[in-house]
Amino acid sequence: MNPSEETRKRIDAAIKEYPRPRSALLAVLHLIQAERGYVAKEDQEWVAQRMQLPSAEVAGVVSFYTMFRTAPPGRHHLQVCRTLSCQLRGCRELLQHIRAKLGIAEGGVTPDGRFSLVTVECLGSCGTAPMMQVNDDYHENLTRDGLDALLDSMK
Amino acid sequence: MADSQREPVTLTIDGRSVTVPAGTNLIEAARTLGIEIPHFCYHRNLSIAGNCRMCLVDIEKVPKNQIACSTSVAPGMVVRTRSEKAVKARQGVMEFLLINHPLDCPICDQAGECVLQDFSYHYGTGGSRFEGEKVHNEKNVDIGPHIVFDGERCIKCTRCIRFCDEVTHTHELALFSRGDHTIIGTFPGSRLDNDYSGCTVDLCPVGALTLKEFRFRQRVWFLENTPSVCAGCGRGCNVDLAINENRIWRMTPRENDAVNRSWMCDEGRLSFLRYQQTERLGRARAEATGAGGAREIPPEPAWEMAAATLGEIARKHGGGTIAGITSGHATLEEQAALSELIARAGGSRIALPVHERGEDDALLIRKDKTANAAGARLAGGANCSMEELLSAVRTGQVRALVVLREDPLADFGEEAKVARGALDFLLTLDWRVTPTVNASDLALPVSAYGEMDGSIVNFEGRLQLLRPGLRPYQESDPAWRPLLEIASRLGGSAVPKSFREAFRWTASRVPLFAGIDTPAVGKLGLQLDSTSSPRGEA
Amino acid sequence: MSHDAYSPLLLKNIHRADSATLAAYRESGGYRALERALKEMSPEQVLEEVKASGLRGRGGAGFPTGMKWSFMPKGEGEKYLVLNADESEPGTFKDRLLMERDPHLVLEGFLIGCYAVGCRHGYIYIRGEFVHAHRVLLKAVEDARAAGLAGKNILGSGFDCEITLYRGAGAYICGEETALLESLEGKRGMPRLKPPFPAQVGLYGKPTSVNNVETVANVPLIVEMGSSWYASIGRPKNTGPKLYCVSGHVRRPGVYEFPLGVPLKELVFEHAGGMLRKDRPLKAVVPGGSSVPILPAEKCDVLMDFDSLAAAGTMLGSAGVIVMDDSVCMVDALLNLARFYAHESCGQCTPCREGCGWYVQILDRLERGEGKSSDLDLLLDLSDRIQGNTICPLGDAVAMPVRSYVNVFRDEFQHHVTQKRCLAKPATASR
Repeated sequence: MNPSEETRKRIDAAIKEYPRPRSALLAVLHLIQAERGYVAKEDQEWVAQRMQLPSAEVAGVVSFYTMFRTAPPGRHHLQVCRTLSCQLRGCRELLQHIRAKLGIAEGGVTPDGRFSLVTVECLGSCGTAPMMQVNDDYHENLTRDGLDALLDSMK
Repeated sequence: MADSQREPVTLTIDGRSVTVPAGTNLIEAARTLGIEIPHFCYHRNLSIAGNCRMCLVDIEKVPKNQIACSTSVAPGMVVRTRSEKAVKARQGVMEFLLINHPLDCPICDQAGECVLQDFSYHYGTGGSRFEGEKVHNEKNVDIGPHIVFDGERCIKCTRCIRFCDEVTHTHELALFSRGDHTIIGTFPGSRLDNDYSGCTVDLCPVGALTLKEFRFRQRVWFLENTPSVCAGCGRGCNVDLAINENRIWRMTPRENDAVNRSWMCDEGRLSFLRYQQTERLGRARAEATGAGGAREIPPEPAWEMAAATLGEIARKHGGGTIAGITSGHATLEEQAALSELIARAGGSRIALPVHERGEDDALLIRKDKTANAAGARLAGGANCSMEELLSAVRTGQVRALVVLREDPLADFGEEAKVARGALDFLLTLDWRVTPTVNASDLALPVSAYGEMDGSIVNFEGRLQLLRPGLRPYQESDPAWRPLLEIASRLGGSAVPKSFREAFRWTASRVPLFAGIDTPAVGKLGLQLDSTSSPRGEA
Repeated sequence: MSHDAYSPLLLKNIHRADSATLAAYRESGGYRALERALKEMSPEQVLEEVKASGLRGRGGAGFPTGMKWSFMPKGEGEKYLVLNADESEPGTFKDRLLMERDPHLVLEGFLIGCYAVGCRHGYIYIRGEFVHAHRVLLKAVEDARAAGLAGKNILGSGFDCEITLYRGAGAYICGEETALLESLEGKRGMPRLKPPFPAQVGLYGKPTSVNNVETVANVPLIVEMGSSWYASIGRPKNTGPKLYCVSGHVRRPGVYEFPLGVPLKELVFEHAGGMLRKDRPLKAVVPGGSSVPILPAEKCDVLMDFDSLAAAGTMLGSAGVIVMDDSVCMVDALLNLARFYAHESCGQCTPCREGCGWYVQILDRLERGEGKSSDLDLLLDLSDRIQGNTICPLGDAVAMPVRSYVNVFRDEFQHHVTQKRCLAKPATASR
């Protein structure tokens, strides 16, 4: 399935933005993921063709960057920071709580497709640890109660 | 810029002074002193990646070890490849490379010619302090028509990727993932499938990429390399024939920047397999007149018979009715010998069949699938097309034909069959049993590829030598011997006793070869005077 | 001497609710420095001012910014200034604050930098996860362009400079300048061999200078107030204001601005409110982001500037101050970091690719009480084999903390071996 008309337009614009079209690869992958939730193998092939790049190159780039997903995430993609400052402020306990509450481990998606859970490395929010990113948004200074309220509010 | 045009730079490596052209990297500079700086990712015909870190050396006044591959020589530079700092770094790299390596040398095809194995022996500590769980990766991956990939043996030097990016420009391979999960691969569902894919196996310093046609066939220490030249097309890539028990097990490119750099095509690489599957002609065969069915005869009676028959036809119908078909598959000596025989018999017509397939590519492959078509024009007296010759046969202008390493009955179909019917005498020299051999009045066995010395000239006018690594098959000989034996019976000169004599005899007949002897040709060949390059002629 | 009376220079605007708007920025005197630079100074003069100010890069290495710019070839040729907004050093969160709350300060500094080096197309490489900061900065660039502050003929000066934002996609290594350039070219973020250095061969093969967000945020101050005024802030050779990121076991974690050279203990115990829990004393501080050697509590009487921390055997780095109380197990903390580096190693060169994973395995067995005494020296030896032998500084960035944690807290590591458990007293649930 090709990207929507709207996304294709934005892709065309992104490619024009750089003196070397190849530069737009990350931007194009971001656009596709924004529409689709992930970058499937077929999308990678489409991108390779659109940008006149070898498909192996595109796949190599997708696999390098942690933000690019190759399988669909949940509607709310929970990305819990696990690095030192968050660990000092209790991210392990929070993660344990999320696992128990949602019944999934890291890398899992709830059966209803509502949540997916991953751990990530430092998100540059150490002063407000522990924290997690849900889709695009940062949720900081998390407490157990705050987390419960947050997850309950996400439908 | 040619080396000679660059400023000379003098530096010191391990206490020895060396002068090399500016821009030379330290690995190559050390090489000129006979000092090996070990490396995995560096390859002189690929871009510099600098990722393996094996070539770290200690340079005076530079705080950190530097990689020799990407460090250019500088005047007065003092390089130490064996200082404690360099040795410790190298031992570290060796130990790191092995922690996730399966160490499955006993069943690995690369064992015996594995750079990882060799460097581990020379530069490692002999032990590992690693006690954990190795990273596991894909194994035995059918990655292309000729190649199998083992992700655990791979040391991520990226030579194979760079080859597909920079040399073939086919870009099948890439790095995937990162950290110690980094792996080389193709796009899911795609294959490493290009005309030169076997080169990735040569480039692979370990046993991660292996050739399907060689895997598990031979342990490499039983193989002996014969330096020769591929006969698969007009390029004449320099090769090594790996031989054991009188059989070729593989062909690999031999470095020659003037011809093929470090590469060869897959078709050439696997050409020996086709030769091995071909039915051989081992003894002279004469057609029993009118009786049908051939009988084998010894060489000398065969030569006598050929000389007598050709002589008789010349007397009856004139020497002009004797013609030859020479071949780009034949060596210069053979082509010259055929030309000599036709001349001795009083004939003049010599045709050169064309064997073209596909197109020349931008790298090595030539559409001319013969190795020595240039020689046929230079030394073989080729002077007409096959069409002209066959028509001369049909019209009775040619009554006897000597065919050298060609199979016109297979290649020219009905036209050739009609011509055969019009001939009084068909003499064929070949290493195979072909339709033409079967239809010949007399067929003489000649050496196959790998069994004989011979010289050839490639499409760019480079004179190169084929070398033997296999024993001659039964009574086969290089074709110049029977051809000149027959010619001598028609009043020709003495038959050369060795290849070198045959080469000198040939050289004496071709002005372009004046003064050339085989040692001057050597392993890397000799570019003939470019002003008279055969390229573009005929 | 305490810095209670210090009034912030870099963070002076951020407390306004509308601090990210162009109007608010201009109201507080924003873009005066750009105007001054473009209309009253030549690029060389700007460069000389920055040199004279003593400004040192705030990304981690502390290299003098003016000197870095002076490595760029003079003249008209195509060249680039790239803003490194890929903040991802664990313990560091200052650049995100600047971008989200005062994007025009960042932009103004960057534009002045472009003018100084003769760059007509600047790129801002922003960390992919910083979605909000990206939106804010994008709006700031649009507003600046609409107001004639970016794009063609800026402020009528005849100077053209386009600004393009570029989003990363999740890779710590892209904070390394050559990996960043690779990523900006749409490739895997694998560091390049140096030489050639970016000032000769950078983005698209052209001369390029890469600067940190906080670094360029200092430039308007220098241009507006003058280099000697700027150089009077801080300490000799360590001049100017600095953003310190305090995280971990303190009562008030956050970004604090003080001159370079603020005492570490003042920062932790006064400004950041002291230790999080009364009964948990200070055990150690990582002063400059996760990649620098750790300081035990008894060595924390040190000034937070490049040279003082270097003299103390560590580094100012990104000024990511991670504070640990005595509940922290050093083996566990180091294992956390080793996992981080193993995850973030690009995998290109051998010592880092293989070494990071090996560290993790050793630390993991030590943490589980399954380690051996020889593992301690093995960790130290691996650091010797990695440091200085890799393509980029990531190797050093993991080797240095490993070496320092093991050396400084050797008894604690040894205890894990002999007693198969931890010396540290785990905290009771803190919340």
